[in-house]
This record gives sequence, structure tokens and C-alpha cells, in this order.
Amino acid sequence: MNGENGAEETTYEVPIGPIHPALKEPFLIKFRLDGEEIVDAEPHPGMNHRGIEFMGMHRNPMEVIPLSERICGICSIVHQHMFTTATEHALQIEPTNRARYIRTIMCELERIHSHILWAGVAAHEIGFDTHLHLTWKIREKVMDLLEYIAGNRVNYSMWTFGGVRRDITEEMHPKISETLEYYEKTYDKLENIFLKDPSIKMRTKDVGILSKKKALELCGVGPTVRASGVKKDVRIDQPYAAYGDIDIDYVIPSRYGFEDKGDVFSKTVVRLKELLQSIDIIKQCVAQMPEGEITSEPKKAALFNKLEKKDGEGIGRIEAPRGEAIHYVRLSEGREDIDNWKIRASTYNNLPTYAPMFMGEQIADIPIIAASIDPCIGCMDRAEIVDIRSGETETYAREELHELSVEKTKKLKEEGI
Amino acid sequence: MNHELPMSAQEIENHLRETVGEAVGDFKIEEIEKGLRKKSIDMIWLTVKRGEFRNAVKALADLQTPHLSVTSGSDKGDFLELIYHFQVNYGYPGKEVSVNMKVHLPKEDPIIPTITDIVPGALTTEREKQEFLGVNVKNIPNSRRLWLQEDFPEDKYPWRWDEEGMEDMSRYVHSEEDETFDKPIAKYPRKKEIEAKKKREEYMEEQEKKKKEDEGGD
Repeated sequence: MNGENGAEETTYEVPIGPIHPALKEPFLIKFRLDGEEIVDAEPHPGMNHRGIEFMGMHRNPMEVIPLSERICGICSIVHQHMFTTATEHALQIEPTNRARYIRTIMCELERIHSHILWAGVAAHEIGFDTHLHLTWKIREKVMDLLEYIAGNRVNYSMWTFGGVRRDITEEMHPKISETLEYYEKTYDKLENIFLKDPSIKMRTKDVGILSKKKALELCGVGPTVRASGVKKDVRIDQPYAAYGDIDIDYVIPSRYGFEDKGDVFSKTVVRLKELLQSIDIIKQCVAQMPEGEITSEPKKAALFNKLEKKDGEGIGRIEAPRGEAIHYVRLSEGREDIDNWKIRASTYNNLPTYAPMFMGEQIADIPIIAASIDPCIGCMDRAEIVDIRSGETETYAREELHELSVEKTKKLKEEGI
Repeated sequence: MNHELPMSAQEIENHLRETVGEAVGDFKIEEIEKGLRKKSIDMIWLTVKRGEFRNAVKALADLQTPHLSVTSGSDKGDFLELIYHFQVNYGYPGKEVSVNMKVHLPKEDPIIPTITDIVPGALTTEREKQEFLGVNVKNIPNSRRLWLQEDFPEDKYPWRWDEEGMEDMSRYVHSEEDETFDKPIAKYPRKKEIEAKKKREEYMEEQEKKKKEDEGGD
């Protein structure tokens, strides 16, 4: 990389980010480029740090439940679940068995909509906007079901300490099974598009590879590392809610005759196969759901008393659509507010995996690789290219970057077919 | 060393006691039953002395490439507490054990050695503890701030409850003319609580003094 003067002058620094209004966390990645090739990638998060942990530490647990689901719009169930389970663990409250099943069903419905949403974003990043519209149309069905059960499309407000606030009654079962059947039918279509289409394969195969060794070392989570063949899944490793009662297995590509390569294609395989798994889990849950109360703490005053008078610390872990996430909560006696609250979402642990995935790739592959970990911040707004030698700055708009990506698809199509 | 996985919580405890010695203590094994089939999950809570902390992590690394979920940290008044949430036995259905390792750091020198050479994935969370809790991670490969803004004061840490904690730093940008936005709307309740407690105590003391004086007068 040394230039004529012997100094490192042929690499460029390319910051990409940090703002996009549609996403939870505006985000910046700084790339070092050698020509078209990426030699280093460094994520710069924190562009919109809202200090939710700090806010939570100045509120009582009841007030934090609605706050916790507003951490993320796509996985609001995840954070709500972790916060309530962590507090339940700290206070030794046992949720009822029926509530466990309802929680499991909601978690899996969320996984379905999140994975389909991701598929649309991925298709958009490589220039297939028709697929984006198709997948998001397919996703509407599960959003409708969520609205039917919880009353809301997002931020469901279902969780409470000791259980849930809304029941899944038998009248709801036909609508649930109808939706699941719809997804079983449309699944083949999705598989045809994402796993069999030659031009999509060209853009996703052997791109953004994360080796198994790196995935383990960097403590990556979720589909990002399962695509590399790492068996990590909280639902199976350390069952929560009703997952202990359900038969599930790790979704890794080699189980379905693909290679555990860790590229974007493997990640697509994992996410699509998890759709089928989620459908299966919901079916098992609906079939086995026990009768009983939906919450073990129906009396609010008694619950408040409990929340105030107990000391304790607890952990809530979950397999979010994007991977393992964890909350730590500590309560102390005599204090109404939470003593300590630590939130860790899945993207937090997947950030370091960017560096090995981007290594040696091209600028036009940035959008799809960045999207491949399904970051809550997966979009890029603008990119700035700094020429170290002349100090000139060139700014790439997000659209231009996107165009580069689309052009590459076109070029590959012409060459390949 | 060869260890057969999956290990039970008790076996992990014994392994840590053997390799690290007396620096680990306060073991607490929790067994939590979940669901209709009553499958139980195990959690270990333990405290390790700062000097032997790295050895304890190495002992875990002997078993399996360690999975560090996150480090949570808090200000406990006289000292800072870090809890490293490790997971052992991942990949074995239903057998995963959470190992929650507590380290206490005195506030005068909140230094902890880095574990990024053993667990490279720990870098993000170590950097977070530096900026939010004022912990000094020794030999950290990259200490640049991750989450806080560039103009956030260097000597203030949001998770501290002492002088180094946050003042009201809100900036009211809605309207400069509107007087209501010039003043802080609310002080942080934690500070309010402390102030109220102080006032109450002072008041009680005064009352007691008065009582004594009155009694003495009689």
C-alpha cells in the first residue's frame, strides 16, 4: 500500500452514515479503502444515543415497561419481555403457564415480521425493489394478526409483571391458523426469490464472509453467527417463556443442505428457514396452551407493594430476531425507582463482526453487507470519501451508493447470464 | 486442559475454585424452573478479586470460547461494581449456564485490566464502561468514545451517583424567548431524593434538639 514517497497514501477513508430517519439508531461506519477494496471498517455508533438506561434509573418499574418497548420499534416485544422477566427474576415473581405460551406466540410472530422486513431491505439494497414491495406486502398479514391480538401494529403493551395483559382466546385460533397457512404457502415464493434466483445468488454468495472462528471470538449473536455454523440460540440453550416445552433445533445452513459459510447467502438461508421454524413453534404453542389465568399478579396495589419492598437483581435473556439480547435489572428496598438497568440489544454484539466481513470487499457491496447482520440501523445516508493525498473530500449520497450497488447487479447479470 | 462439556453449574464452580483459588467467592447457584415440563436453567453468581479477575476469565476460556453477553456496571456508593455476564455450554440444548462475575473497584482507582486479548468481543462493552461509569480499563486497544456526544464533558459519567455524576445538562432548544424553557423543568429524582432525605434528617435533628432544650428547661 506504500506510495511513491514510502508513506501510506493510497488508502482512502470513507465514512458512511450517520443519519436515516427510518431507523432506530443513526449510524456511521468509517471505511479505509485501497482503490475499490475495503481494508478496514470501523463502526461509530451513538449518533442518537437517547440515554434510555439513565431515564429508566429515574423511574419505577411500572413506568419502565412502556419505556422499554419504545427502545426499538421493530422488536418492541423483545425489550419488554427482557425487562419484565429480569424484574420478575429479581422479585421472584412467577408468570403463569398460560402467559408463558402467549409470550412465546407473540415473540415468534414478531420474528416472522422482522425476518420478512429484513428480506425486503436486503432485496432493496441490491436493486430489486419489486421484491421489497412484494415481501412487505406479505409482511402485512402478520402485522394484521398482531394488531388483532394486541390491538396495535407496533408497541403492543402486552407484558406485565407476572404475565400478560391480553389473552389469546379460542376465537382467535382460526385467524392465527389462517395466517400461518398463508405463510406456509408463500414461503416457497420467498425461497424461490432469495435462494434460487441466479442474480440474487451472484450478489449474496461469497460476499461478506464471517468465519466461524471470528464469529465465536467476537461474541456475535443470532442469525449472523448461526450462518457461520455456530450453535447459539437462547431459545434452545437456556429456554425462557414456554420454549422449554417445545421441540426446536438450531437453524444452521448445513441442516438444510447448504454450506455454513457465513456469507450473506447463508444468513438469508438462516432467516428464511427460521420463518418455517417460527410457524412450527406457534402451531405447537397453540396446540399445547394450558388453561388458566393470564397473570399471577392481578392486583395492582399488591404488585406495587412488592416492587417497592424487595431487594434483588435479575437477568432477562431472549433470542430476538437479530440474536441474543440481555437486560440486567437491580431493585433495592425502600427505593421506588430502579437501581440499575443495563440494556444490551443484539446489534451491540454484532457490530465488531463488521470488520472481518467488510475486509477485502468492494464499495458496491457495502449496502448488502451492512444490511446482512440486520442492524437496527442498517441504512446509510451519505458517504464521504477523503483523499488522503490531496485532502479533498467527496461526498457520496446514499442514493449514489445504492446506484453503485444496483449497477453492480446489472453488470453481473450481463456477464453471468 | 480437557474438559468435557456440558458442565453442570457445580462443576463450573469447582473448576473456578481450583484454578483461581481463594480470590473467587460468594458463590450462589440459582436453579430456575420454567414452563410446563419444568426444565430448569442454572445461573452462577460470584465475586472475584480484581487481581485474579483475568485468571478467572482465562479459566472460563479453558472450557469453551467464552461468550460475553455484556458487562453491566453500577455505582454502589463506596465502590463501583462491574458484572461480567458470561455464558458457558452454549450449543448444548437446555444446558447453558450463565456465569455472572462480579468485580468490585474502589472509587479512588477504578482500574480494571482489559480482557480483549482473551475475549476480543469484549471491546465494545469495555469502552462503554469507560465512558458511562468512569472505569479505567488498562491496556484497552481502542479507547475512543462510542456512544456519548463529542461535546459531553470528559469528567462526567451518566451512571455515577456522586459528584462525578450528571448535573442537569438538558438543553432547551424549543424556544429561547419562552421563559419556561430557560429553566430546568425537573431535577433528576435521585438528586431530589437525596436532598429531601438530608432536609428531613436536618429537620428531625432540629426537632430533637428543641425537645431536649425544652426538657432541660423544665
